[in-house]
This record gives sequence, structure tokens and C-alpha cells, in this order.
Amino acid sequence: MIRVGVLALVLAAVWLSGSVYLMNLAVVTALFALPALGLSLLMGYTGQISLGHAALVGLGAYGTAILAQQFGWSPWLTMPVAIAAVMMVAWLIGWLVFRLRGHYLAMATLAFGIIAHVGFVELRDLTGGQDGLSGIPPLAVLGVELITDRAILPVAWIVCVGALVLAENLVRSPAGLAMRTVAESEAVAGSIGIAPDALKRRIMALSGGYAALGGALYAHYLGYISPSPFDVGFSLKLLLMVALGGFAGIWSVLFGVGFVVLTGEALKPFGHYDVVIYGALLVIVMVWCPRGLLAGLELAFQALRRRLRPAAGGAA
Amino acid sequence: MVELAQYLASGLVVGAIYGLIAIGFTAVYNATGIVNFAQGDFSMLGALMTIALLAAGVPLLLAIGLAVLAVGLLGSVIERVALRPVGADVLRGIIITIGVGVSLQGVAVIVWGTDAQPLRAFSGERPIGLAGVTIPPQALWVVGTAAVLMCALYFFLTRTYFGKAFRACALNPFAASLMGIPTARMRLASFFLSGLIGAVAGIIIAPIALMQYDSGIFLGIKGFVACIIGGFGNPIGAALGGLLLGLLEALATGYLSSGYKNAIAFVVLLVFLFVRPGGIFGELEALKR
Repeated sequence: MIRVGVLALVLAAVWLSGSVYLMNLAVVTALFALPALGLSLLMGYTGQISLGHAALVGLGAYGTAILAQQFGWSPWLTMPVAIAAVMMVAWLIGWLVFRLRGHYLAMATLAFGIIAHVGFVELRDLTGGQDGLSGIPPLAVLGVELITDRAILPVAWIVCVGALVLAENLVRSPAGLAMRTVAESEAVAGSIGIAPDALKRRIMALSGGYAALGGALYAHYLGYISPSPFDVGFSLKLLLMVALGGFAGIWSVLFGVGFVVLTGEALKPFGHYDVVIYGALLVIVMVWCPRGLLAGLELAFQALRRRLRPAAGGAA
Repeated sequence: MVELAQYLASGLVVGAIYGLIAIGFTAVYNATGIVNFAQGDFSMLGALMTIALLAAGVPLLLAIGLAVLAVGLLGSVIERVALRPVGADVLRGIIITIGVGVSLQGVAVIVWGTDAQPLRAFSGERPIGLAGVTIPPQALWVVGTAAVLMCALYFFLTRTYFGKAFRACALNPFAASLMGIPTARMRLASFFLSGLIGAVAGIIIAPIALMQYDSGIFLGIKGFVACIIGGFGNPIGAALGGLLLGLLEALATGYLSSGYKNAIAFVVLLVFLFVRPGGIFGELEALKR
């Protein structure tokens, strides 16, 4: 509860500062946090790797955009429909890929991500190909269209915090314990009456729902989508966010997302260097702090203190 | 009929390219059980380094030698620095090799930019025609190199003492170390070997497939699919898997549509993953289960 309060205070400060730049960063963070949360539930808690989550985000974005444009429905209707559809797709993908493990699962999900991206580019009649879709209607609340960062920020973050709380409740529930058991050992999970494959599929569907929600909000917020943001690079960025957060930890995922968004901004003047930094960060975090950047720094700090203390005692 | 023959010929050439990449995957897999997701980027790096050295006035053979050695050393550095601390954790290993691949692409963008770099073909550009089918002369280099490398690696892994020690490390590192095999050094050597093979593959195919910073991703994925088809445990199987994939792609491009070329590879991947995850010739995988 305190964390929600602190978050609300920070966001309120950003909102009141009136800085378009800060508000934009806050909105982007919320939109990235949704798919990253979904990935954390799948990877961190259930132990299943996915390198194709960008495709689920893209499916959510394209789904709601196409429904809104072709049928002229309100975004409030198209978003749930698109998200439900993506959840079904994610469940079906789970049905296909979760008989695989390790490297095979990683490659199968990567393949799915690439197939979806090829689809976004090649199905020109539906998706507009490389040019993408423009003129996607914005969300509207009480007749006010949410076009500016100032208007979308509260909505995006209310959704995001809702998703956070839901995820937190889930991982604390018996289902959350079952997820962790599956991640530790599927044989043990099976022996105590948990059906690992069914659980993995359900978490995959939920994870897809989170991703699609992020994508759908993104589409209505920008009003324009093209295939390039939903490529493999974005899947890897989501992976980095979750890894920085230590995989399993709902709030630390938010830290990972914020960290990546801010580093991305800090590195913007240097052009392509961000890719190198992202890759190196991924390696460093995985090698030295598998529980996330914060936990890794804390461990390093403790080790430093332990090393300093005997020296101080000897001096006294 | 000529049309079909042309499709088959170009399919074989592309397939040999995939096969070359696939052989590099098997070199690491047979010693460590790791699938190196940066394998395609090794090839990209080898090719771009050769091109840069050539531009600096180094003769072709020396440039190739230097680039191949550099990538091989890079491979062993990556093993020592990034992969050894992780041990047998598959998930972390995957993510680390992905991170390495991303970093290598980033470095390539900074050094060489985003434009595709050409490499002069080794024996001229004049296409060879035979019964109405034309192939570039470089294709012979590709097919020849793939054949030589796959046989050499197969012979090494199955007939030499060193190679058998390699495979023992992948099957059961603990038992291997009890038998006095220095497993850590074997892992280092396998990454060196895969760096060498990856770089050679990249250099040989560069004149046919233009190389740029992100060429590695697709090469790597196709090579992986080839390994799935042929079986990770066996370089000959992996190379033949590459040929099969190349043929399927060429036929699909010729008779269906070029847009779905990449989809074919992944449909094949999914089919094999579900029906026969050990690949056609996958002996090691069968043993591990």
C-alpha cells in the first residue's frame, strides 16, 4: 500500500510539473510495464521463457486498431475484444509450445515472434504493411479525448497499478504457489496434483492479456502503429526489463522498466550505443545478479560492509 | 523442368549456407549442451572483419585467417567471462548468449554502420551455366566448405580421442571430470572451435548473402532450424538438415510466394520440434533422455 502511495505521489508530481517530456516518459513506462509484468508472471514465476512477447503486444495493438477502423466501434469495446482474442491466441500458442523446454522453447517462441512480425508486414490489406495504420481513434472519457500525455497519464497508470495489484494477488494466492512449484520442478508439481501444462497455458493466456492491454493502449494513445516496434528487438528489451527486475518480483519489474526507459533516454544522444549497453547489461545481470539489479547491488554492498568491518575492528 | 532444376540448385546453395551455420551450433552443443544464440553473429562478425581488413590492404588469405582467429578467440573469451560462472543453468545460459549476440550487433553497427557490406567473390562473378541452370561460382565454395567442415567435425567428434572427450563433457560433465577430462578447458576449446567455424561460414557466404550488422539473427535462426531437422548431436545431420531446409524454402519461394519463405522455415521448425525433437539423426539427444 505504501508503495502504491509513493508511486502515486511521484506520478502526481510529474503530472503537476506540467513537463510534457516527463509525462511522456511516465506514460511510456506504464505502457512497457504491462507486457513486462506479463512476461514476469510467465518467466519469473512459472519458469517458462518467451522470446516472442512483442508479437502479443503487436497483436493487441493491431487487433484493437483494425476493429476500431473497420467497424467503427468505440475503443472501449474494441480493446476488450482484442485482448480476449489475444489471450485465446496465447493459450493456443501455449498449447503448442509448452511441450518443449529450454532451448527448444526459447527458439519456438522466437519463431512465433518472427512469424507474427512477418504477418504484420506482409498482410498489407489488413495491417497496411510497412506503412502501418494511422488515424486510430483515441480513447475518450466523459467526452474528453485522451490525446495528450497529460490526459492519458492517469488512465494508463490506473490500468497499470490495477494490473500490478492483480499480479501481486495472483502470485500470493495458491495459484501463485503452484506456479512457483512448476518453475522449480514439474515432476513435484505433478505429484501433488498440479497439472503443469494446463497451468502454464493459463499463465501464458494471462501474460498475453497483459501484453495485449499494453499494446492496445499504445495504439489508441499514439493513433498510429507500424510493424517495427513489435519486432524481436522489443521482445529482447522486455526480457532485459524483467531480468533487471530479477524475474520474480512484481514491483521490481517496475524498477526494471523504469531503468530501461531512463537509460534509453540517457543514451539517446549517442545513437546506436544503447543496443550495446542493453546487450552488455543483459549479460552482466545474468552473470552477477540473477535476482535482479537491486538485489545484486544490495549483495555487493553487504559484501563490501563485511569486508570493511573486520578492518575497522582491527584498527580499534 | 529447367525451372524446377533451377529452384533445386539455388535451394542447395542456400541450404549449404544454413548447413555451414548449423555445423557451428553442433561444435558448441557437443561439448557443453549449450545452444549458442550468438552463433549467427559470429558469422556476421567474421565476414565484416574480413571486409574491413581487405579494405585496409591486407591480402585475402591473411585477412580471412586473422578474422577467423579473432572470432575464435572472442568465442573463448565469451565462454570464460560470461558462460562459465553460470554453470549448467539453461535459462540463464540462453539469455546470456542472446545478450552477447545483441552486444555484438550493437558493436557492428557502431563500427560498420547499418549498410550492407560487399565482399568480392573468391573466383570471379561469372555465373556457371549447366543445362540451363545457373549458379554463381561462389556457390561451389559454399557447398565445398560445408562438406569439408561437416566431415572434419564429424571425424573429429567420433574418431579422435579429443573429440570423444568433447562429447563426454556434454553427456555428463561430472562423470567426464572423474575420468580426468578437463571439462572447463574443453568448454573453452569448443567455443573457440565454434567461433572459428562460424567465422569461416560467414566469410564464405558473404559474397552471396550481403552482410550487415543484423544478418546474424536470421542466419542463426535458420542454422538452428537446420540443427533441429538434422539433430544437434551430429554435424553431418545438421548440415543435411540445412540442405533440406534450403530446398524446402526454394521450392516454397518458387511455387508459392516469396513472402512466405520465412514462414516455411518456422513451420518446418515447429513440425520437427513436435514430431521429432531429436532431429532425423539425433543420437546424442536420444541418449540424454
